[in-house]
Amino acid sequence: MTVSPSDFPPPWSPENAVAEPTDPPDERIEVGFLIVGAGPAGLAAAIRLGQLCEEDPETAERLGEVPVAVLEKGKAPGSHLLSGAVVNPRSLQRLFKGRKTIDELPFFGPVHGESVLFLTRKRAIPIPTPPTMVNHRNYVASLSRLGRFLAEEAEELGVTILPETSAEQLLVDHGRVVGVRTGDRGRGRAGEELSNFEAGSDIAARVTILAEGTQGHLTGAALDRFGTRGENPQVWALGVKEVWKVAKPLREVVHTMGWPLRPGRRYREFGGSFIYPMGEDMVTIGLVVGLDYRDAELSVHDLLQELKTHPRVRKILDGGERVQWGAKTIPEGGFVALPKKLHAPGLLLCGDGVGFVNVPALKGIHYAVESGRLAAEAAWRTLERGASTRDALASYDASIRESFIWKDLREVRNMRQAFGRGFYLGGALASVMTATKGRFPAGDARTERDAEQSLIRTDRAASYPAPDGQLTFDKLSSVFASGNRTRDDQPNHIRIQTKVPREVAEMWARMCPAQVYEVGAEDGDGTVQVKLAPSNCVQCGAITAKGGRLTPPEGGSGPEYTVT
Amino acid sequence: MAKTLVFLEHHEDAVQKGALGVLAKFANADGVLVGSGVRSIAESIGRTVWVADDERLAAPLPQPRVDVLAKLVRDEGYDTVLFAQSVLAADVAAGLAARLEAGLNWGLVDFDGEQGRAPALQDTVVVDVGWSSDVRIGVFRAGALDAGDVAGSGEVRDAAVELEDFSSAAEMVEQAHAEQQGPSIEDADVIVAGGRGLGEPEKFALAEELAKALGGAVAATRAVVDAGWYPYSAQVGQTGKTVSPKLYVALGISGAIQHKVGMQGSNTIVAINKDPNAPIFEFADLGVVGDLHEIVPKLTELVRSRKS
Repeated sequence: MTVSPSDFPPPWSPENAVAEPTDPPDERIEVGFLIVGAGPAGLAAAIRLGQLCEEDPETAERLGEVPVAVLEKGKAPGSHLLSGAVVNPRSLQRLFKGRKTIDELPFFGPVHGESVLFLTRKRAIPIPTPPTMVNHRNYVASLSRLGRFLAEEAEELGVTILPETSAEQLLVDHGRVVGVRTGDRGRGRAGEELSNFEAGSDIAARVTILAEGTQGHLTGAALDRFGTRGENPQVWALGVKEVWKVAKPLREVVHTMGWPLRPGRRYREFGGSFIYPMGEDMVTIGLVVGLDYRDAELSVHDLLQELKTHPRVRKILDGGERVQWGAKTIPEGGFVALPKKLHAPGLLLCGDGVGFVNVPALKGIHYAVESGRLAAEAAWRTLERGASTRDALASYDASIRESFIWKDLREVRNMRQAFGRGFYLGGALASVMTATKGRFPAGDARTERDAEQSLIRTDRAASYPAPDGQLTFDKLSSVFASGNRTRDDQPNHIRIQTKVPREVAEMWARMCPAQVYEVGAEDGDGTVQVKLAPSNCVQCGAITAKGGRLTPPEGGSGPEYTVT
Repeated sequence: MAKTLVFLEHHEDAVQKGALGVLAKFANADGVLVGSGVRSIAESIGRTVWVADDERLAAPLPQPRVDVLAKLVRDEGYDTVLFAQSVLAADVAAGLAARLEAGLNWGLVDFDGEQGRAPALQDTVVVDVGWSSDVRIGVFRAGALDAGDVAGSGEVRDAAVELEDFSSAAEMVEQAHAEQQGPSIEDADVIVAGGRGLGEPEKFALAEELAKALGGAVAATRAVVDAGWYPYSAQVGQTGKTVSPKLYVALGISGAIQHKVGMQGSNTIVAINKDPNAPIFEFADLGVVGDLHEIVPKLTELVRSRKS
């Protein structure tokens, strides 16, 4: 009998994340434009709105005391930002046009050289760089650092950033989004109010921009509430990465394919690694694996540890020291999984939350920035004299369709799905798609939900290296290296069924890079108990893809990334 | 040499151990006591201590204390104000820093009159910290300094009490104390800590018996607190308490770094664990590989017989 994680849906409904305002009107916090998420999309929106306020102070007056506010669930902007990252600078250049040059952006420098390696256990075979992956004129960055920079820029333009504040519910009044409700703070494990309890508040805004990033909590709820989910379900990959201080500089960006992932079609192990230089003395290394994998024993964290034992990779890290670790999911559904609409009454959606990621190019940051900027301009249009709010917000969809985001994603729309047919056939199909700029094949390949893949077991874990604390690390010390020091006695924020077949429990335990799940005692009826350590959670979102549901914990919880 | 003032936080009739530790470290520093009916406490210290004694200062609220300290620093020319970490000290130090536009360094473990030392990056390194402001404000980490001998020469002086209007805006409604049995783990010289290796919650009795025989307190790891075996108030580690007893006995604790950072300052660490590869053996002073269920009762028996 085969089981799939989707057979055990979480005790959670999107309705939980939508509510009517409850605070009396005079107790609501009123802001002009409200942005949820201080990532590249949200901060680009904030910066653009700040610029527009500066250019037209008279109109900005109408927005009240707090014209633009950004909510951030992390301890500070950047705390929850993690990416490769090689950034295509075009959208940032456009955002800062006439204000900042590229040298003033916090990059580690342009990409000087690149190589793509196909790995076997012992060997590394250089292969030609696929056209989608050429990084000439792109820049290496730490997204966490870039986020801090953008937050400072936004604040200089008068934007109010509220860190340690999670957006828990979307406030909808008579079919229109009117703001969000922030999460309570200071609740105990059973939900009881502790001595430092602080209730959340209703924050009311003229337009709410959701830029929550991957697995957006309210974004998903909004798509359900307004019936705007795309034709295909979203799918995700999980990336785990480390930042190393190294003895000798790395001169090029390196991508690898192949080992330790298996090419066979039945495994569905789609992914690869990236190794980027961060200046002279740091290197980041990460492994990304599609969450449509099937093996219950697959652990991206342990595969990354295994990857580091490859002679070619070990050479880069030799004599170095790990300084940070983190994990995050990446939306991989691309064009075919985009929502039908990117706006709803009072609401705009942008960035990773809606799935603006180009998987074959391994890029999404410039789409996030571009969509944030376009969302800001649409929001601003609602202030124009005689403008209809509805038309102004609808103009956001039109501007996205005219942008390079749409064109790029359309061209590569079928590539990710091709790799569901195994590595070699997938690779061959991808080449044809590139050559024809996406005209072949003509139709749209469908995506299937990650949680619906039936589980198999192939003794995968046998090859994971035992952690030595030097080159390879266990999950708990890695969670420590993420800076996570979440309060243990807060309510559990993860929704799963806790009585499931052993395969499902083991899959969660292996999948989670932060050791949140543990396989507990047998129940005697073929199922086991799942035990949770929610304060380990680094909010990567893999559980939402694989049959559970991550909800926002108390603001300020989770990792405290600085160089990821 | 810096002209240094130490904030002496008191509870009922005694100055906090941590604040006395800071005063003891700096022989030339003066103290300041703020409260109502606190003169007699000041007289018992044997140093130059400023006393701000006023009914309006009875409640442990920060802003009136900031008023007193700010005036004292300005009038008497103190260039350094030091605190021992506590909830109240944190509030007063932050308020004073804002009032005086002074720099504030947090979590100090040392201060040489010019520069401070503070652990950083989750205690993996200790860094030098400095001030660029005229007045230096520093908060010492809890337990960083021993409450040594403070005695010196000096007198009790009266500090002026001039409160700002906004400082009296807050009023204390209620003060409550958490109840505690036995020595608290922060104060205990001996701690016996239990981890998952105990096997089941009832086996915490082993740790309790041994702690009782040694005159110490019982602590727990996050894993067992999470599992509901022991209360959160006993949790030692990154997200629990940081302790530095003379003796730390770890029973069935693997020694994950999240636990280690809460107890690595202990003088002597003894670990009993059946897994020879447990990370705790890398930093224990004495490691016993074996079954704690056999060893601990015998150990408890031995301690008892030696003591009697």
